[in-house]
Amino acid sequence: MSIRVAARSLVFVPLTFMVPILVVAAALGIGVLLIAATGASVPTAISAFWTGAFGSSYAIGASLNRAVPFALVGLGFILAEKANLINVGGEGQIAVGGMMATAAALYGAANLPPILAITVPLLVGALAGALWGGIAGMLKVKRGTNEVISTLLLSFVALNLVYWSVQTTTLLRKPQTTAATQPESPVIPQSTWLPPLTSDPASPLHVGLVIALVAAASIGITLAHSTFGLRLRAIGLNPLAARRAGMSEKLPLLALALAGGLGGIAGAAMVQGDQHVLKIGFSSNYGFDGVVVGLLSRGSAVGVVIAALFFAFLRSGGITMEMLARVPSAVVWICQGLIVIALAGSAAWLDYRAKKGRGR
Amino acid sequence: MTEEQLGLFLASCLRLAMPLIIAASGELLSERAGVLNLSLEGMMLAGAFGGATVSLATGMPFVGLLSGIAAALLVAASQAVLSVTLRANQLVVGIGFNILVLGATTFLFRQIRGAGASDLIPGLPVWRVPLLADIPILGPALFQQSSLFYIGVLLAFGTWVLIQYTSFGLAIRAVGDDPAAADNAGIDVAKTRYLGVLYAGAMAGVAGCFLSIADLNTFTEGMTKGAGYLALASVIFGNWVIWRTAVACLLFGTATALQFLLPNLGLEVPVALLLMLPYLLALLAVGGLVGNIRTPAALGLPFFRGR
Amino acid sequence: MLKSQAAGKPAAKVTSDVPILQLSGISKQFVGRAALRDVSLSFEAGKVHCLLGENGAGKSTLCNIIFGIHQPDTGEMRFDGASFRPSEPADSLAAGIAMVHQHFSVIGAMTVVENLMLGRTYGRLQRHRAAEKVRALSEAYELPIEPFRLVEDLSVGERQRVEVIKCLMREPRVLLLDEPTAVLPPLEIEALLDVCRKVAARGRAVLLVTHKLAEISEIADLVTVLRAGQVVDSGSPADTDISRFVHSMIGRDIASLDQTLAASLGTKSEAADDESKAVNTRTKVNALMVDGVSYHDAAGVRRLDNVTIEIRGGEIVGIAGVEGNGQSELGAILSGLATPSSGRVFVGDTETTRANPKAITAAGAGIVPEDRHATACVMPMSVAENLFMNDLRRFSRLGLVRRGAMLREAEDLMLRYDVRASGPDAPMASLSGGNQQKAVLARELSLDPLVFLLAAQPTRGLDIGAVSAVYERIRAARDNGVGVLLISSELDELLSVADRVLVIFRGRIVGELPATQSSREAIGRLMAGHPSTEIAA
Repeated sequence: MSIRVAARSLVFVPLTFMVPILVVAAALGIGVLLIAATGASVPTAISAFWTGAFGSSYAIGASLNRAVPFALVGLGFILAEKANLINVGGEGQIAVGGMMATAAALYGAANLPPILAITVPLLVGALAGALWGGIAGMLKVKRGTNEVISTLLLSFVALNLVYWSVQTTTLLRKPQTTAATQPESPVIPQSTWLPPLTSDPASPLHVGLVIALVAAASIGITLAHSTFGLRLRAIGLNPLAARRAGMSEKLPLLALALAGGLGGIAGAAMVQGDQHVLKIGFSSNYGFDGVVVGLLSRGSAVGVVIAALFFAFLRSGGITMEMLARVPSAVVWICQGLIVIALAGSAAWLDYRAKKGRGR
Repeated sequence: MTEEQLGLFLASCLRLAMPLIIAASGELLSERAGVLNLSLEGMMLAGAFGGATVSLATGMPFVGLLSGIAAALLVAASQAVLSVTLRANQLVVGIGFNILVLGATTFLFRQIRGAGASDLIPGLPVWRVPLLADIPILGPALFQQSSLFYIGVLLAFGTWVLIQYTSFGLAIRAVGDDPAAADNAGIDVAKTRYLGVLYAGAMAGVAGCFLSIADLNTFTEGMTKGAGYLALASVIFGNWVIWRTAVACLLFGTATALQFLLPNLGLEVPVALLLMLPYLLALLAVGGLVGNIRTPAALGLPFFRGR
Repeated sequence: MLKSQAAGKPAAKVTSDVPILQLSGISKQFVGRAALRDVSLSFEAGKVHCLLGENGAGKSTLCNIIFGIHQPDTGEMRFDGASFRPSEPADSLAAGIAMVHQHFSVIGAMTVVENLMLGRTYGRLQRHRAAEKVRALSEAYELPIEPFRLVEDLSVGERQRVEVIKCLMREPRVLLLDEPTAVLPPLEIEALLDVCRKVAARGRAVLLVTHKLAEISEIADLVTVLRAGQVVDSGSPADTDISRFVHSMIGRDIASLDQTLAASLGTKSEAADDESKAVNTRTKVNALMVDGVSYHDAAGVRRLDNVTIEIRGGEIVGIAGVEGNGQSELGAILSGLATPSSGRVFVGDTETTRANPKAITAAGAGIVPEDRHATACVMPMSVAENLFMNDLRRFSRLGLVRRGAMLREAEDLMLRYDVRASGPDAPMASLSGGNQQKAVLARELSLDPLVFLLAAQPTRGLDIGAVSAVYERIRAARDNGVGVLLISSELDELLSVADRVLVIFRGRIVGELPATQSSREAIGRLMAGHPSTEIAA
């Protein structure tokens, strides 16, 4: 290796870490400028943001709770991505997961022994999500349908299914006592709620965090060290050769079902852990943001966890900033969009430079 | 159902379908060149916003139309730099722009509305064809629509002529199917793809303006509500062929129009199911009914010479 | 979109003073290997200049540099005496250089006319006017072609004709042809060489890249030999003995080549004995039975028509035919990637008609497919992973991969089969073509049991050393009682390696002949679709 090439690689490695940090910092800087442009006081806004994200055990607990669906959807994303399948249907998978978990909780799970009362709705949610991902997987295997489009469309269908279920009293809607009764489900029985993780009464942190971390560890190990992960990689890189080597052509179906299942658990956790009620649009873009988390982590489970935490704290801070400092949360969206675009662009630019360095 | 109701229904079907047709035509050309614009939604929203604000500010809807196109082109150009020049992942970039545009338009809209803007925006004129518009049922539906409707028909038709009968269209097709072969024939792959994305952007801008200054005469946050994704689905349903794509858009428009018709007929169909219908149709289309899909071979793949 | 308009230059007056194109000191380095080193040569009007070299010698790279796909690291090019630095194909096209690529540069989804108009017209497309021009050229050079057919429906030979006409339409001053005869049957090779002669006669410079000696003697005015990226010899076939070029090309004497290897070069060995033809090792065991198999593709076109093949253990059966006559479909069916529309397939005693690839492997079938990149290997994955892809369960403990064991066994296998790489964990893509093929053979030949081996175009793109290794392995398998089906479009290869040869044409087996030189002509005729006067049952 010549001196020049060696020197270049020394400079290059820190660049891969520096660039994302710089990008995020720049985006946040733009966010600050926008806050100033609205006429709101920047210090007030920032302090409101901080309070909402880290300010109290409540804030931290709530933020960590938010990270759970981001992480789960992101993990599902990188699992499918290993097989070269792009699952952007996290939002829909959360929706059906939460919906079916609510159904299970309301229609029987509550009377089961304590552990089952909690886990059965979670499992039902997971299965619902897996079914949702599986539909896209089936279409891919049987028809070659582009999974980006199918998972996306399934999301919109799912969101409307939730809408329908809480509109209809025979399904999940709570009984209408007055004309002003909101279309939403009754509160799910307390026996199905996810237990809290800490003894601090002010912190809403629940076991969802444990579920997410366990999932992250398992997915990380699976992708890097298991034969299943190897098979996914082969199918993703060269489906024909993989088939020829005897791998089942149904692997894409399995991958998308698993990814969907993770999304389903996320939805169930949101209902059983935080909201305790099924409302229209309860998924509030967690699924789409989870997809972004997956995209940004470039296949790494650790990356998913970091990105999920980042997005979670960002969202908590943004909500509080809007409440306390009257700064529209659209500013947070702008930052998010800029970060996503800039990271994608810089990743491509770094790849391009790497190839040039090695000589083409 | 009365004649009047039927006539209104048909008019709605066409009116709701047209922004999809316009956006889909542009996207079709871009995809034939191999670039998938997931940010179509964002481009439409930018167009809607640009059209609405400038139309309100100047009182001249056609100037608003041009601004809407310009706003959408801004998004499209940035998207093109990232996808074509930097060769970034087209999906990430698309989703990123959608988030960004939603945030930016919402933010700007709140800033502007805070300054006491009224909600009713001067819209583009409706064009009425004198005798034909009096035909019962079909008349108003076909011959009394917004001016942008007829412009849209021309644009869709023009797109097809462009693809099939010009050298530019030939280059587009080549670049989307086999960019290496096109490169070897001397075609500038990057430039062709750029133009494809910009074309999609311009059309999306027109489509967005249709929503804000031709149909509803107002701007609401996120008003495109997934129309961009429907347009994407219709291109696939249409097998990258204009007339089939237009049929898909008509189906989607009809499904949306049913939302308003059925309650009027006294049919108690849950709103949610009607809202779901277009997406369900699109899903069935891309999954089942389509048969032999002929995807442009290089769709979504960046081009590297010498690979 | 046109970057620059192709120059429509009239045929230049032949001046033998200034060469049209001159290269001096061209070097090009790719990742980890030097593709070209200090190459200098020149091309004169009215002459056919052949560039001879093994696979991997750098011939394609040189063409790509001339055409602007790559840029040289050092050295310069001069066109008509003026400095010439194309940064992309459009530049070369504008200067008057046209190239017939080895892997065609025509777009399947468009018609012939549309392909020919690409990059040459402005504004409105006038298909019919263009078709007229096409027909005129087609007649002038005797290259029959139908303007309005979709390119993907054309045969390989027809597609190449489109490629050639595409070049001729530009009236180039320099015509490059990169291994054009590799995919043509003997008759069409003649036709193509004829075209080259005509083009040169009109005052152009023609560069023909090939590794076939037979073509050299037929058509070359000048020969330059490349070996490992350097010019090692040049001269005129009129004044020199061909064997000198062979020696320069491969570093060995033709006399020392066995007949098979000589065959792969398209020439005859002087080795006296046919040592490579083994004593009859045919056993009574059925290795492969293809019984009345027909196959319709997705569009309903019949690709295989009532094909029957019977192979016993210990024999090598060859299938001769121009690419595109059903060989790929047969390969797909035998690998389990496609299902016949009718008929049955047996590997050994097991029926495998509708079996998936896993079951076929279990039945004892080893497959070396024709396109390594597409079907045999996952290029970005490591050699070890590729070697054991069919059998991951062996290295799995609790679902996790036992990497250590996998790497050790891979090393072992690589040693036995002489697969050279930086290590068992090197990505498959980093191996040379020859080593990749050796790895595939290693994988398939270590199957236990192994009853039948399919080798489809196994030596395509390989250098002489690797070709030799592949033939050795195939023969060894045969000697071990395996039945081998060798599908190849290189007739000489089949005649040297196989015991008997079946000919396939338009999906049907049209003849069977013993694999000796005397059958050559008959087989050639059958390959082209003409009935042979002597067809063995």
